[in-house]
Amino acid sequence: MQPYELSLAAAAREIRERRLSPVELVDSVLDRIEQVEPHIAAYVSVLADQARRTARDAEREAVQGSYRGPLHGIPVGLKDLIDVVGVSTTASSRTRAGHRAASDSTVAASLRAAGAILIGKTHTHEFAYGLITPQTNNAWDHRRIAGGSSGGSAVAVASGAATFALGTDTGGSIRVPATLNGVVGLKPTYGLVPRHGVTSLSWSLDHVGPIARTVDDTALVLTALAGYDPRDPASVAVPGVGYRPHPDPDLTGVRVGVPRNYYFAHVDAEVAAAVRRAIAQLEALGARLIDVDIPMTRYIQAVHWGLMVPEATAYHQATLRTVPELYRADVRILLEAGELMGAGDYLRAQRARTLMRDEWARVLEEVDVIAAPAVPMAAVPAGQETVTWPDGTVESVSDAYVRLSSPANITGVPALSVPVGQDAAGMPIGMQLLGRPFAERTLLLVGHAYERTQPARSLAPVT
Amino acid sequence: MSSAELTPSEAARWAARAGLPLPDDRHAAVAATADHIHSVVAVLRELNLRDTPPAGAFRAEKEKHDAAV
Repeated sequence: MQPYELSLAAAAREIRERRLSPVELVDSVLDRIEQVEPHIAAYVSVLADQARRTARDAEREAVQGSYRGPLHGIPVGLKDLIDVVGVSTTASSRTRAGHRAASDSTVAASLRAAGAILIGKTHTHEFAYGLITPQTNNAWDHRRIAGGSSGGSAVAVASGAATFALGTDTGGSIRVPATLNGVVGLKPTYGLVPRHGVTSLSWSLDHVGPIARTVDDTALVLTALAGYDPRDPASVAVPGVGYRPHPDPDLTGVRVGVPRNYYFAHVDAEVAAAVRRAIAQLEALGARLIDVDIPMTRYIQAVHWGLMVPEATAYHQATLRTVPELYRADVRILLEAGELMGAGDYLRAQRARTLMRDEWARVLEEVDVIAAPAVPMAAVPAGQETVTWPDGTVESVSDAYVRLSSPANITGVPALSVPVGQDAAGMPIGMQLLGRPFAERTLLLVGHAYERTQPARSLAPVT
Repeated sequence: MSSAELTPSEAARWAARAGLPLPDDRHAAVAATADHIHSVVAVLRELNLRDTPPAGAFRAEKEKHDAAV
Protein backbone atom coordinates (compact mmCIF):
# COMPACT_ATOMS: atom_id res chain seq x y z
CA MET A 1 0.00 0.00 0.00
CA GLN A 2 1.31 3.44 -0.96
CA PRO A 3 1.19 6.26 1.62
CA TYR A 4 -1.38 8.22 -0.43
CA GLU A 5 -3.76 5.28 -0.02
CA LEU A 6 -3.75 5.48 3.78
CA SER A 7 -6.72 6.84 5.66
CA LEU A 8 -6.00 9.79 7.92
CA ALA A 9 -6.17 7.60 11.02
CA ALA A 10 -3.84 5.01 9.51
CA ALA A 11 -1.37 7.63 8.31
CA ALA A 12 -1.43 9.30 11.73
CA ARG A 13 -0.66 5.99 13.39
CA GLU A 14 2.28 5.40 11.04
CA ILE A 15 3.65 8.89 11.62
CA ARG A 16 3.25 8.67 15.39
CA GLU A 17 5.07 5.33 15.42
CA ARG A 18 7.78 6.82 13.18
CA ARG A 19 7.17 4.20 10.48
CA LEU A 20 6.22 6.91 7.99
CA SER A 21 7.60 10.41 7.70
CA PRO A 22 5.47 13.42 6.72
CA VAL A 23 7.92 13.96 3.83
CA GLU A 24 7.19 10.49 2.44
CA LEU A 25 3.46 11.01 2.80
CA VAL A 26 3.45 14.44 1.17
CA ASP A 27 5.68 13.22 -1.68
CA SER A 28 3.37 10.27 -2.24
CA VAL A 29 0.26 12.47 -2.38
CA LEU A 30 2.00 14.97 -4.69
CA ASP A 31 2.97 12.10 -7.03
CA ARG A 32 -0.61 10.88 -6.96
CA ILE A 33 -1.85 14.37 -7.82
CA GLU A 34 0.44 14.43 -10.87
CA GLN A 35 -0.99 11.10 -11.92
CA VAL A 36 -4.71 11.82 -11.45
CA GLU A 37 -5.05 15.58 -11.87
CA PRO A 38 -5.12 15.48 -15.70
CA HIS A 39 -8.23 13.29 -15.41
CA ILE A 40 -10.04 14.89 -12.46
CA ALA A 41 -9.01 18.58 -12.39
CA ALA A 42 -9.71 18.84 -8.66
CA TYR A 43 -7.19 21.57 -7.88
CA VAL A 44 -7.06 25.28 -8.60
CA SER A 45 -3.47 25.29 -7.38
CA VAL A 46 -1.07 22.73 -5.93
CA LEU A 47 1.41 24.18 -3.44
CA ALA A 48 4.09 21.50 -3.86
CA ASP A 49 7.17 23.44 -2.74
CA GLN A 50 5.47 24.92 0.30
CA ALA A 51 4.01 21.52 1.22
CA ARG A 52 7.41 19.81 0.98
CA ARG A 53 8.98 22.53 3.15
CA THR A 54 6.28 22.18 5.79
CA ALA A 55 6.63 18.39 5.64
CA ARG A 56 10.35 18.65 6.40
CA ASP A 57 9.52 20.84 9.41
CA ALA A 58 6.92 18.32 10.54
CA GLU A 59 9.43 15.52 10.14
CA ARG A 60 11.98 17.42 12.22
CA GLU A 61 9.40 17.95 14.96
CA ALA A 62 8.54 14.25 14.92
CA VAL A 63 12.20 13.28 15.20
CA GLN A 64 12.50 15.61 18.19
CA GLY A 65 9.55 13.87 19.78
CA SER A 66 7.20 16.81 19.35
CA TYR A 67 3.96 15.32 18.04
CA ARG A 68 1.05 17.70 17.53
CA GLY A 69 -1.64 15.06 17.31
CA PRO A 70 -3.38 13.01 14.63
CA LEU A 71 -3.17 15.70 11.93
CA HIS A 72 0.61 16.01 12.30
CA GLY A 73 2.09 15.78 8.81
CA ILE A 74 -1.23 14.96 7.10
CA PRO A 75 -1.84 16.52 3.63
CA VAL A 76 -5.06 18.51 3.29
CA GLY A 77 -6.82 20.18 0.36
CA LEU A 78 -8.80 23.34 1.13
CA LYS A 79 -11.76 24.48 -0.93
CA ASP A 80 -10.70 27.66 -2.63
CA LEU A 81 -13.08 29.81 -0.60
CA ILE A 82 -10.93 29.35 2.50
CA ASP A 83 -8.26 31.96 3.14
CA VAL A 84 -4.66 30.93 3.65
CA VAL A 85 -2.21 33.75 4.30
CA GLY A 86 -0.23 34.72 1.20
CA VAL A 87 -2.23 32.45 -1.10
CA SER A 88 -4.92 33.50 -3.57
CA THR A 89 -8.52 32.62 -2.69
CA THR A 90 -9.93 32.42 -6.21
CA ALA A 91 -13.43 31.08 -5.40
CA SER A 92 -12.90 29.49 -8.85
CA SER A 93 -13.92 32.86 -10.28
CA ARG A 94 -12.32 35.24 -12.75
CA THR A 95 -13.55 38.10 -10.56
CA ARG A 96 -10.89 37.16 -7.99
CA ALA A 97 -7.87 37.54 -10.30
CA GLY A 98 -4.88 38.82 -8.34
CA HIS A 99 -6.43 38.10 -4.95
CA ARG A 100 -4.11 37.30 -2.08
CA ALA A 101 -5.31 36.48 1.42
CA ALA A 102 -3.85 38.74 4.10
CA SER A 103 -4.30 36.23 6.89
CA ASP A 104 -5.37 32.70 7.65
CA SER A 105 -9.03 31.82 8.06
CA THR A 106 -9.80 30.40 11.49
CA VAL A 107 -10.02 26.86 10.10
CA ALA A 108 -6.73 27.17 8.18
CA ALA A 109 -5.05 28.43 11.36
CA SER A 110 -6.55 25.56 13.35
CA LEU A 111 -5.32 22.96 10.86
CA ARG A 112 -1.88 24.59 10.73
CA ALA A 113 -1.66 24.50 14.54
CA ALA A 114 -2.71 20.85 14.50
CA GLY A 115 0.15 20.05 12.10
CA ALA A 116 -1.80 19.46 8.88
CA ILE A 117 0.04 20.28 5.64
CA LEU A 118 -1.75 22.30 2.96
CA ILE A 119 -1.26 20.51 -0.33
CA GLY A 120 -3.43 22.76 -2.50
CA LYS A 121 -6.63 24.73 -3.05
CA THR A 122 -9.52 22.80 -4.56
CA HIS A 123 -12.13 23.83 -7.09
CA THR A 124 -15.56 25.06 -6.12
CA HIS A 125 -18.59 25.84 -8.23
CA GLU A 126 -18.00 29.57 -8.70
CA PHE A 127 -18.43 31.24 -5.30
CA ALA A 128 -20.18 28.04 -4.11
CA TYR A 129 -23.31 29.09 -6.00
CA GLY A 130 -24.11 25.77 -7.68
CA LEU A 131 -24.15 22.00 -7.34
CA ILE A 132 -21.99 20.92 -10.28
CA THR A 133 -18.36 22.19 -10.07
CA PRO A 134 -18.07 22.05 -13.85
CA GLN A 135 -14.25 22.41 -13.89
CA THR A 136 -13.84 19.10 -12.05
CA ASN A 137 -14.75 15.52 -13.06
CA ASN A 138 -16.30 12.82 -10.91
CA ALA A 139 -13.63 10.56 -9.42
CA TRP A 140 -15.38 7.36 -10.51
CA ASP A 141 -16.53 8.35 -14.00
CA HIS A 142 -14.93 11.39 -15.58
CA ARG A 143 -17.94 11.96 -17.83
CA ARG A 144 -20.15 12.58 -14.80
CA ILE A 145 -20.37 15.60 -12.55
CA ALA A 146 -18.23 16.01 -9.46
CA GLY A 147 -21.14 17.55 -7.59
CA GLY A 148 -20.78 20.75 -5.73
CA SER A 149 -20.02 23.11 -4.66
CA SER A 150 -17.06 21.48 -2.85
CA GLY A 151 -16.45 19.26 -5.87
CA GLY A 152 -12.67 19.59 -5.96
CA SER A 153 -12.33 18.65 -2.29
CA ALA A 154 -14.49 15.53 -2.60
CA VAL A 155 -12.87 14.34 -5.82
CA ALA A 156 -9.37 14.90 -4.41
CA VAL A 157 -10.15 12.82 -1.31
CA ALA A 158 -11.84 10.07 -3.34
CA SER A 159 -8.85 9.88 -5.73
CA GLY A 160 -6.04 9.86 -3.17
CA ALA A 161 -5.03 13.39 -4.15
CA ALA A 162 -5.56 14.58 -0.55
CA THR A 163 -5.77 12.60 2.67
CA PHE A 164 -8.65 14.84 3.74
CA ALA A 165 -10.14 18.16 2.69
CA LEU A 166 -12.40 20.95 3.84
CA GLY A 167 -15.54 22.09 2.09
CA THR A 168 -18.35 24.51 2.74
CA ASP A 169 -22.05 23.69 2.79
CA THR A 170 -24.88 26.19 2.22
CA GLY A 171 -27.38 23.78 0.68
CA GLY A 172 -25.53 20.48 0.54
CA SER A 173 -22.16 21.57 -0.84
CA ILE A 174 -20.18 19.20 1.42
CA ARG A 175 -22.63 16.29 1.48
CA VAL A 176 -23.56 16.28 -2.21
CA PRO A 177 -20.05 15.97 -3.70
CA ALA A 178 -18.93 13.69 -0.86
CA THR A 179 -21.82 11.37 -1.70
CA LEU A 180 -21.37 11.52 -5.47
CA ASN A 181 -17.71 10.54 -5.07
CA GLY A 182 -18.11 7.90 -2.37
CA VAL A 183 -16.47 9.65 0.60
CA VAL A 184 -17.68 10.95 3.96
CA GLY A 185 -18.85 14.54 4.47
CA LEU A 186 -19.92 16.38 7.60
CA LYS A 187 -21.90 19.59 7.78
CA PRO A 188 -21.44 20.48 11.44
CA THR A 189 -24.01 22.26 13.58
CA TYR A 190 -24.41 25.93 12.65
CA GLY A 191 -21.96 27.79 14.88
CA LEU A 192 -19.67 24.87 15.79
CA VAL A 193 -16.91 25.59 13.23
CA PRO A 194 -15.95 29.25 12.76
CA ARG A 195 -16.34 30.72 9.28
CA HIS A 196 -14.05 33.72 9.73
CA GLY A 197 -11.91 34.06 6.61
CA VAL A 198 -14.15 31.88 4.47
CA THR A 199 -15.84 33.52 1.49
CA SER A 200 -19.57 33.62 2.12
CA LEU A 201 -22.40 32.51 -0.11
CA SER A 202 -25.15 33.08 2.47
CA TRP A 203 -24.31 34.09 6.02
CA SER A 204 -27.49 32.50 7.37
CA LEU A 205 -26.79 29.09 5.84
CA ASP A 206 -23.01 28.71 5.38
CA HIS A 207 -21.09 26.00 7.23
CA VAL A 208 -17.48 24.75 7.00
CA GLY A 209 -16.69 21.09 7.52
CA PRO A 210 -14.54 18.06 6.69
CA ILE A 211 -14.55 15.64 3.77
CA ALA A 212 -12.62 12.45 4.49
CA ARG A 213 -12.37 8.78 3.57
CA THR A 214 -13.94 7.37 6.73
CA VAL A 215 -16.20 8.50 9.55
CA ASP A 216 -13.31 8.02 11.97
CA ASP A 217 -11.14 10.38 9.87
CA THR A 218 -13.97 12.91 9.78
CA ALA A 219 -14.15 12.88 13.57
CA LEU A 220 -10.42 13.51 13.89
CA VAL A 221 -10.68 16.56 11.64
CA LEU A 222 -13.74 17.93 13.41
CA THR A 223 -11.90 17.77 16.74
CA ALA A 224 -9.29 20.16 15.29
CA LEU A 225 -11.87 22.52 13.72
CA ALA A 226 -14.52 22.97 16.40
CA GLY A 227 -14.15 26.00 18.62
CA TYR A 228 -15.37 29.48 19.39
CA ASP A 229 -14.32 32.52 17.40
CA PRO A 230 -16.19 35.79 17.98
CA ARG A 231 -15.16 37.02 14.53
CA ASP A 232 -17.90 34.74 13.20
CA PRO A 233 -21.13 36.16 14.66
CA ALA A 234 -22.75 32.72 14.49
CA SER A 235 -19.95 31.05 16.45
CA VAL A 236 -21.04 29.31 19.62
CA ALA A 237 -18.87 28.52 22.63
CA VAL A 238 -19.36 24.85 23.37
CA PRO A 239 -17.14 22.73 25.61
CA GLY A 240 -14.25 21.19 23.67
CA VAL A 241 -14.69 17.45 23.26
CA GLY A 242 -13.04 14.67 21.33
CA TYR A 243 -15.34 13.57 18.53
CA ARG A 244 -13.63 10.28 17.72
CA PRO A 245 -16.14 7.44 18.04
CA HIS A 246 -15.48 4.43 20.24
CA PRO A 247 -13.67 1.85 18.11
CA ASP A 248 -16.24 -0.81 19.00
CA PRO A 249 -19.50 1.15 19.22
CA ASP A 250 -22.75 -0.21 20.60
CA LEU A 251 -26.00 1.02 19.05
CA THR A 252 -28.25 -0.74 21.55
CA GLY A 253 -31.12 1.58 22.37
CA VAL A 254 -30.18 4.28 19.85
CA ARG A 255 -33.40 5.58 18.32
CA VAL A 256 -33.14 6.02 14.56
CA GLY A 257 -35.87 8.07 12.92
CA VAL A 258 -36.92 6.92 9.46
CA PRO A 259 -38.82 9.62 7.56
CA ARG A 260 -42.28 8.67 6.33
CA ASN A 261 -42.40 11.71 4.07
CA TYR A 262 -40.10 13.93 2.02
CA TYR A 263 -36.73 12.11 2.17
CA PHE A 264 -37.80 9.02 0.24
CA ALA A 265 -40.08 10.81 -2.25
CA HIS A 266 -38.69 11.46 -5.73
CA VAL A 267 -35.64 9.35 -4.95
CA ASP A 268 -34.06 6.92 -7.39
CA ALA A 269 -35.11 3.34 -6.59
CA GLU A 270 -31.53 2.09 -6.29
CA VAL A 271 -30.68 4.93 -3.88
CA ALA A 272 -33.74 4.27 -1.73
CA ALA A 273 -33.02 0.52 -1.62
CA ALA A 274 -29.36 1.02 -0.65
CA VAL A 275 -30.25 3.48 2.12
CA ARG A 276 -32.99 1.20 3.48
CA ARG A 277 -30.48 -1.66 3.55
CA ALA A 278 -28.11 0.53 5.54
CA ILE A 279 -30.90 1.47 7.95
CA ALA A 280 -31.69 -2.23 8.39
CA GLN A 281 -28.03 -2.71 9.22
CA LEU A 282 -28.33 -0.09 11.98
CA GLU A 283 -31.29 -2.04 13.35
CA ALA A 284 -29.21 -5.23 13.24
CA LEU A 285 -26.61 -3.38 15.32
CA GLY A 286 -29.17 -2.76 18.04
CA ALA A 287 -30.77 0.54 17.00
CA ARG A 288 -34.52 0.98 17.32
CA LEU A 289 -36.24 2.26 14.17
CA ILE A 290 -39.02 4.82 14.66
CA ASP A 291 -41.09 6.36 11.89
CA VAL A 292 -40.97 10.17 11.87
CA ASP A 293 -42.78 12.90 9.94
CA ILE A 294 -40.64 15.72 8.58
CA PRO A 295 -42.36 19.04 9.37
CA MET A 296 -43.06 22.07 7.17
CA THR A 297 -41.73 20.42 4.02
CA ARG A 298 -43.80 22.70 1.79
CA TYR A 299 -41.67 25.63 2.95
CA ILE A 300 -38.15 24.18 2.76
CA GLN A 301 -37.17 25.47 -0.67
CA ALA A 302 -38.90 28.80 -0.01
CA VAL A 303 -36.94 29.42 3.19
CA HIS A 304 -33.71 28.28 1.59
CA TRP A 305 -34.06 30.54 -1.43
CA GLY A 306 -35.53 33.38 0.62
CA LEU A 307 -32.33 33.48 2.67
CA MET A 308 -29.69 32.49 0.14
CA VAL A 309 -30.71 34.51 -2.91
CA PRO A 310 -30.67 38.02 -1.39
CA GLU A 311 -27.68 37.31 0.85
CA ALA A 312 -25.58 36.07 -2.09
CA THR A 313 -26.56 39.12 -4.12
CA ALA A 314 -25.65 41.38 -1.21
CA TYR A 315 -22.20 39.79 -0.87
CA HIS A 316 -21.49 40.39 -4.58
CA GLN A 317 -22.95 43.90 -4.72
CA ALA A 318 -19.74 45.66 -5.77
CA THR A 319 -18.37 43.23 -8.38
CA LEU A 320 -21.79 42.64 -9.90
CA ARG A 321 -21.75 46.34 -10.79
CA THR A 322 -18.14 46.65 -11.90
CA VAL A 323 -17.26 43.34 -13.63
CA PRO A 324 -20.49 41.40 -14.18
CA GLU A 325 -19.14 39.84 -17.37
CA LEU A 326 -16.49 37.98 -15.37
CA TYR A 327 -19.05 35.75 -13.62
CA ARG A 328 -20.14 32.50 -15.20
CA ALA A 329 -23.58 32.82 -16.79
CA ASP A 330 -25.46 30.63 -14.28
CA VAL A 331 -24.11 32.56 -11.29
CA ARG A 332 -24.50 36.01 -12.82
CA ILE A 333 -28.20 35.58 -13.57
CA LEU A 334 -28.97 34.47 -10.00
CA LEU A 335 -27.02 37.39 -8.54
CA GLU A 336 -28.83 39.85 -10.81
CA ALA A 337 -32.29 38.43 -10.15
CA GLY A 338 -31.56 38.51 -6.43
CA GLU A 339 -31.62 42.31 -6.60
CA LEU A 340 -35.36 42.06 -7.25
CA MET A 341 -36.35 40.23 -4.07
CA GLY A 342 -38.10 42.40 -1.51
CA ALA A 343 -37.20 42.73 2.15
CA GLY A 344 -40.59 41.27 3.07
CA ASP A 345 -39.72 37.96 1.45
CA TYR A 346 -36.35 37.90 3.16
CA LEU A 347 -37.85 38.63 6.59
CA ARG A 348 -40.51 35.96 6.11
CA ALA A 349 -37.75 33.46 5.35
CA GLN A 350 -35.82 34.47 8.48
CA ARG A 351 -38.92 34.14 10.64
CA ALA A 352 -40.03 30.86 9.04
CA ARG A 353 -36.56 29.48 9.64
CA THR A 354 -37.08 29.79 13.38
CA LEU A 355 -40.44 28.02 13.17
CA MET A 356 -38.82 25.21 11.21
CA ARG A 357 -36.01 24.88 13.76
CA ASP A 358 -38.58 24.57 16.55
CA GLU A 359 -40.59 21.94 14.66
CA TRP A 360 -37.44 19.89 13.95
CA ALA A 361 -36.45 20.10 17.63
CA ARG A 362 -39.75 18.44 18.51
CA VAL A 363 -39.03 15.57 16.10
CA LEU A 364 -35.52 15.21 17.48
CA GLU A 365 -36.91 14.79 20.99
CA GLU A 366 -38.40 11.48 19.83
CA VAL A 367 -35.29 10.08 18.10
CA ASP A 368 -31.50 10.36 18.44
CA VAL A 369 -30.77 10.52 14.72
CA ILE A 370 -32.72 10.64 11.49
CA ALA A 371 -31.45 8.37 8.70
CA ALA A 372 -32.28 9.22 5.10
CA PRO A 373 -30.80 9.37 1.61
CA ALA A 374 -28.12 12.04 1.25
CA VAL A 375 -29.10 12.88 -2.33
CA PRO A 376 -31.94 11.58 -4.52
CA MET A 377 -29.75 10.17 -7.27
CA ALA A 378 -26.11 9.32 -7.96
CA ALA A 379 -23.90 11.56 -10.12
CA VAL A 380 -25.54 12.46 -13.43
CA PRO A 381 -23.64 12.79 -16.72
CA ALA A 382 -22.07 16.22 -17.25
CA GLY A 383 -24.49 18.44 -19.16
CA GLN A 384 -27.67 16.79 -17.87
CA GLU A 385 -29.89 19.60 -16.58
CA THR A 386 -33.09 17.87 -15.46
CA VAL A 387 -34.29 14.62 -13.98
CA THR A 388 -37.74 13.14 -14.70
CA TRP A 389 -39.28 11.13 -11.86
CA PRO A 390 -41.60 8.13 -12.50
CA ASP A 391 -44.72 10.23 -11.83
CA GLY A 392 -43.71 12.57 -14.66
CA THR A 393 -42.40 15.36 -12.42
CA VAL A 394 -39.44 17.16 -13.99
CA GLU A 395 -36.90 18.67 -11.59
CA SER A 396 -33.67 20.54 -12.25
CA VAL A 397 -30.59 18.54 -11.31
CA SER A 398 -29.48 21.29 -8.92
CA ASP A 399 -32.87 21.45 -7.17
CA ALA A 400 -32.80 17.66 -6.76
CA TYR A 401 -29.34 17.62 -5.20
CA VAL A 402 -30.20 20.47 -2.82
CA ARG A 403 -33.62 19.10 -1.82
CA LEU A 404 -32.54 16.60 0.82
CA SER A 405 -29.65 18.72 2.06
CA SER A 406 -31.16 22.13 2.69
CA PRO A 407 -33.26 21.21 5.76
CA ALA A 408 -30.04 20.84 7.77
CA ASN A 409 -28.77 24.20 6.52
CA ILE A 410 -32.00 25.93 7.48
CA THR A 411 -32.39 24.33 10.90
CA GLY A 412 -28.65 24.23 11.59
CA VAL A 413 -28.70 20.60 12.72
CA PRO A 414 -25.59 18.51 12.01
CA ALA A 415 -25.68 16.18 9.01
CA LEU A 416 -23.23 13.42 8.12
CA SER A 417 -23.16 11.69 4.73
CA VAL A 418 -21.80 8.17 4.61
CA PRO A 419 -21.31 5.95 1.52
CA VAL A 420 -23.69 2.97 1.48
CA GLY A 421 -23.01 1.31 -1.88
CA GLN A 422 -23.14 1.88 -5.62
CA ASP A 423 -25.84 1.86 -8.26
CA ALA A 424 -25.83 -0.43 -11.30
CA ALA A 425 -23.52 2.00 -13.11
CA GLY A 426 -21.01 1.77 -10.26
CA MET A 427 -21.70 5.28 -8.97
CA PRO A 428 -21.64 5.87 -5.21
CA ILE A 429 -24.78 6.23 -3.08
CA GLY A 430 -24.90 7.91 0.33
CA MET A 431 -26.93 7.87 3.52
CA GLN A 432 -27.44 11.04 5.52
CA LEU A 433 -27.58 11.02 9.32
CA LEU A 434 -29.10 14.10 10.97
CA GLY A 435 -29.07 14.81 14.68
CA ARG A 436 -29.73 17.32 17.42
CA PRO A 437 -27.70 20.54 17.44
CA PHE A 438 -24.15 19.86 18.69
CA ALA A 439 -24.79 16.09 18.78
CA GLU A 440 -22.03 15.37 16.26
CA ARG A 441 -20.70 12.65 18.53
CA THR A 442 -23.92 10.69 18.12
CA LEU A 443 -23.88 11.03 14.32
CA LEU A 444 -20.25 9.97 14.15
CA LEU A 445 -20.90 7.02 16.46
CA VAL A 446 -23.79 5.76 14.32
CA GLY A 447 -21.92 6.40 11.07
CA HIS A 448 -18.83 4.63 12.35
CA ALA A 449 -20.85 1.68 13.63
CA TYR A 450 -22.37 1.25 10.17
CA GLU A 451 -19.04 1.70 8.39
CA ARG A 452 -17.42 -1.04 10.49
CA THR A 453 -19.88 -3.56 9.08
CA GLN A 454 -18.80 -2.83 5.52
CA PRO A 455 -15.65 -3.79 3.59
CA ALA A 456 -13.03 -1.01 3.46
CA ARG A 457 -13.66 1.25 0.47
CA SER A 458 -10.99 1.61 -2.17
CA LEU A 459 -9.82 4.81 -3.81
CA ALA A 460 -11.27 5.75 -7.18
CA PRO A 461 -9.10 4.24 -9.92
CA VAL A 462 -7.06 6.30 -12.38
CA THR A 463 -8.52 5.79 -15.84
CA MET B 1 -48.84 36.30 -17.51
CA SER B 2 -50.23 36.94 -14.02
CA SER B 3 -50.27 40.48 -12.65
CA ALA B 4 -47.48 39.51 -10.22
CA GLU B 5 -45.05 38.60 -13.00
CA LEU B 6 -42.48 41.09 -14.17
CA THR B 7 -42.14 42.24 -17.75
CA PRO B 8 -38.57 42.62 -19.01
CA SER B 9 -38.81 46.41 -18.77
CA GLU B 10 -40.17 46.20 -15.21
CA ALA B 11 -37.27 43.95 -14.24
CA ALA B 12 -34.87 46.48 -15.69
CA ARG B 13 -36.54 49.33 -13.79
CA TRP B 14 -36.52 47.41 -10.48
CA ALA B 15 -32.88 46.51 -10.96
CA ALA B 16 -32.07 50.13 -11.74
CA ARG B 17 -33.85 51.21 -8.54
CA ALA B 18 -31.57 48.74 -6.71
CA GLY B 19 -28.60 50.46 -8.32
CA LEU B 20 -27.92 47.78 -10.91
CA PRO B 21 -28.34 49.01 -14.48
CA LEU B 22 -28.92 45.99 -16.71
CA PRO B 23 -27.89 45.83 -20.38
CA ASP B 24 -30.90 45.51 -22.71
CA ASP B 25 -30.06 41.93 -23.63
CA ARG B 26 -30.43 40.79 -20.01
CA HIS B 27 -33.88 42.19 -19.21
CA ALA B 28 -35.91 39.16 -20.32
CA ALA B 29 -33.67 36.55 -18.66
CA VAL B 30 -33.51 38.46 -15.38
CA ALA B 31 -37.29 38.90 -15.38
CA ALA B 32 -37.82 35.18 -15.93
CA THR B 33 -35.36 34.17 -13.20
CA ALA B 34 -36.77 36.72 -10.75
CA ASP B 35 -40.29 35.44 -11.44
CA HIS B 36 -39.19 31.87 -10.79
CA ILE B 37 -37.56 32.86 -7.49
CA HIS B 38 -40.68 34.80 -6.56
CA SER B 39 -42.88 31.78 -7.25
CA VAL B 40 -40.76 29.71 -4.87
CA VAL B 41 -40.56 32.15 -1.95
CA ALA B 42 -44.13 33.46 -2.21
CA VAL B 43 -45.53 30.37 -0.45
CA LEU B 44 -44.11 31.73 2.82
CA ARG B 45 -47.02 34.20 2.83
CA GLU B 46 -49.29 31.29 3.80
CA LEU B 47 -47.57 30.90 7.16
CA ASN B 48 -48.86 32.38 10.39
CA LEU B 49 -45.57 33.70 11.75
CA ARG B 50 -47.20 35.00 14.93
CA ASP B 51 -44.65 36.93 17.03
CA THR B 52 -41.62 35.05 15.70
CA PRO B 53 -38.72 37.50 15.26
CA PRO B 54 -36.26 37.17 12.37
CA ALA B 55 -33.27 34.92 13.01
CA GLY B 56 -30.39 37.36 13.12
CA ALA B 57 -26.68 37.41 13.78
CA PHE B 58 -26.30 40.75 15.58
CA ARG B 59 -24.65 41.30 18.93
CA ALA B 60 -24.58 44.62 20.71
CA GLU B 61 -21.03 44.17 21.89
CA LYS B 62 -18.24 44.35 19.35
CA GLU B 63 -16.19 41.19 19.27
CA LYS B 64 -12.80 41.10 20.93
CA HIS B 65 -10.00 39.79 18.72
CA ASP B 66 -8.22 37.71 21.31
CA ALA B 67 -10.08 34.47 20.75
CA ALA B 68 -8.13 31.28 20.73
CA VAL B 69 -8.56 29.41 17.47
